[in-house]
Amino acid sequence: MRNKAMLIVAAFVIAAASLPLFAGPYFLSVFNTIFVYMSLALTWDIMLRTGQLSYGTAGLFGLGAYASALLVAKAGLNPLVSIAAGGAFAGLLAFFLGFGVLRLRKIYFSITTLALTTVFSVIIRNLPRLTGGASGTVLPRALFNGDPGKNYWMIYCLALAVIAISVWLSKSKTHYAINAIRNDEITARSSGIDVFKYLLFIFVLTSTIQGVIGAFYAQQYAFVQPEATFSMNFLLLPLAMALVGGVYSTIGPVVGAVLLGLVSEYLKLIMPYGHLIVYGIIIVLVVLFMPQGITRAFAKLFTRKMQVGGVDSASLRD
Amino acid sequence: MKKISLASVLLLIAALMLSSVSLAAEPIKFGAVNPLGDITGFQTTRAMELAVKEINEAGGLLGRPVELIVVDDEMRPEIGAAAIDRLATVDNVDFFVGGMGSGVHLAQVPALKKYEKITVWMGAASHQVEIAMGPDADWYFHLHPWDYQQGASYGQGWTDIANAHPEIGASRIFLAYEEGAFGTDSYLAYLDLYEAAKDGEGPYGQILNDFAGASFTSALLGGGDYRAMLRQAMDFDPDLFIWAGYDADAVPMVAQAMELGFEPPLFVGAPPGWPANFGDNPLSDGVILYGMWAPALKEVSEISNHFWNEYIKMHGHEPATYFAPLGYTNIMFLAEAIKAAGTLEKDAVIEALRTIEYESPIGAVLKIEPSNIISNQGFTSQKILQYIDGEQHVIWPFEYATSEIKYPFGR
Repeated sequence: MRNKAMLIVAAFVIAAASLPLFAGPYFLSVFNTIFVYMSLALTWDIMLRTGQLSYGTAGLFGLGAYASALLVAKAGLNPLVSIAAGGAFAGLLAFFLGFGVLRLRKIYFSITTLALTTVFSVIIRNLPRLTGGASGTVLPRALFNGDPGKNYWMIYCLALAVIAISVWLSKSKTHYAINAIRNDEITARSSGIDVFKYLLFIFVLTSTIQGVIGAFYAQQYAFVQPEATFSMNFLLLPLAMALVGGVYSTIGPVVGAVLLGLVSEYLKLIMPYGHLIVYGIIIVLVVLFMPQGITRAFAKLFTRKMQVGGVDSASLRD
Repeated sequence: MKKISLASVLLLIAALMLSSVSLAAEPIKFGAVNPLGDITGFQTTRAMELAVKEINEAGGLLGRPVELIVVDDEMRPEIGAAAIDRLATVDNVDFFVGGMGSGVHLAQVPALKKYEKITVWMGAASHQVEIAMGPDADWYFHLHPWDYQQGASYGQGWTDIANAHPEIGASRIFLAYEEGAFGTDSYLAYLDLYEAAKDGEGPYGQILNDFAGASFTSALLGGGDYRAMLRQAMDFDPDLFIWAGYDADAVPMVAQAMELGFEPPLFVGAPPGWPANFGDNPLSDGVILYGMWAPALKEVSEISNHFWNEYIKMHGHEPATYFAPLGYTNIMFLAEAIKAAGTLEKDAVIEALRTIEYESPIGAVLKIEPSNIISNQGFTSQKILQYIDGEQHVIWPFEYATSEIKYPFGR
């Protein structure tokens, strides 16, 4: 069973990697967007695994985007290097901010991280000589001169790396530590787990990834603008994708991002007016009736069917 | 006889085939990217549909029907960029039209440059778009005035009004600006204009002697008490008071000014959009605003009147935003150029777009001229409008004025 699952995953990975060989620019654009939001959804979920509900995704995404764009526009840095630098900047800032915000818990942590997005945006707007203010900054050229295939491979590799990090985390001792912190912080602390160290590690890691994705986004479209770059879409859509797919897992945000990304495009094709209403209703219905997410709902259904069919459920775990 | 009848049958079949080819001719495809969930994008699209209907009822273009394919950009840059890819590679459109927000359009620029199809874009006022597009895109036509052109046109408007009405002065201007990006940018732009005016230069060079500003928190962002700012304005005693905030500020701003007894001779609001039915509020009387179009234009412009009536007939509601006549203009202008070119060949259509003049329902003749960077810019100015007896009227430019200015502002 395990080998079969590995084969299926390998088939998906190869099929997705070869998409630019037979798909047109439009489909590559759609999947490009899906991978951007998938990566953000995974980072939001990884932070959630510590028990902390972060609303800072859009802020750190925007910071990475701005750092990368300004390094290219003002310092002439290579765009690819600037993407790494954008992530490093977001991670470094998260490291210092972590000493403050990670002392907070639950709703206080959430509100503070949400406020950070606004604070970053206001600072950017009020440094017009450096950042271009409210009008933003335009880059001389788009990443890979706008080549859709190269851009696709770039974001595909980034998304694969984020998936790999998420899988690695779920198999490492960090997974047990953050699970313990989420379940009962006092007990975790009593067991010798350095709570702050683990929270800081996850916060910096997820912020760095968000910064990298933001930097890629800025380089791909060759501009940054506070309104567009710090848009709440970069928080709300990943959050919805993780919830629809199923939280506390790698497969949940991945499936949620692919499903919602494709459903959104399909709805737009069949109903140009009002497709966003239907899209919103679908998200609400899934969250209401499948609170554990689509992946767990289907896993339960599949297990039940196998049991009814006489298959030993233990074999499914192999 | 048999030969003749066979020949005539063959001719008849050939004629029928040719006519059916003509009837089923490949349409000329216009691909539009608009935000359909927003009233501006929704009404733009409806107006574009009206234009396409009129073109097709008149026989189409070059003997072919016109097809409008619209994709929603959801006001998201990445979706707007993907829409360009879809229109170019899946729908195989011949031309790109439409557009609204600058943020979305900036993300579309790399894709547009990739395809280099003739693009007649109606929205996106940020000068950053012009920088991103660069001087070499001869296939790119932009209709909406750039942000810097709008600022310049207001200065020109007040200069013309002051020259035509010596009793109206605009030498002391006070700008109340919301403390966010929109307001702050407006303030910085006015500071630059004031610096130029000190040397007698720029659009306010002939009229502006003194300028001051103060910020306020917009009602949209949890504020709504403007009294401290209004008292500063009263102390300054301006000829022209302008507030740059949001639609939520429109009614309380006038109400609190009245409450304090602050009645500047010219009271101007410059939000991106006005509250629905603001004209129905008695406080609106005499309030001045900036915009590209007003419904009252139908009284002075035949094409505006035609657009107004046909839009309501087709869709059952009134156009409420200037993007509606601008959307109609977008399609009609391109159609006129194709007709003038007599072909879809790129260079010929570009040349026609550069040379034709189109009397637009927006209340201006559309003619392409170079702007700061691009070589194909359409409209270059906004209008000065005023609420008079519950209706928006054009008071400048004078050739499209639907009313004399109501002066001074006040009860």
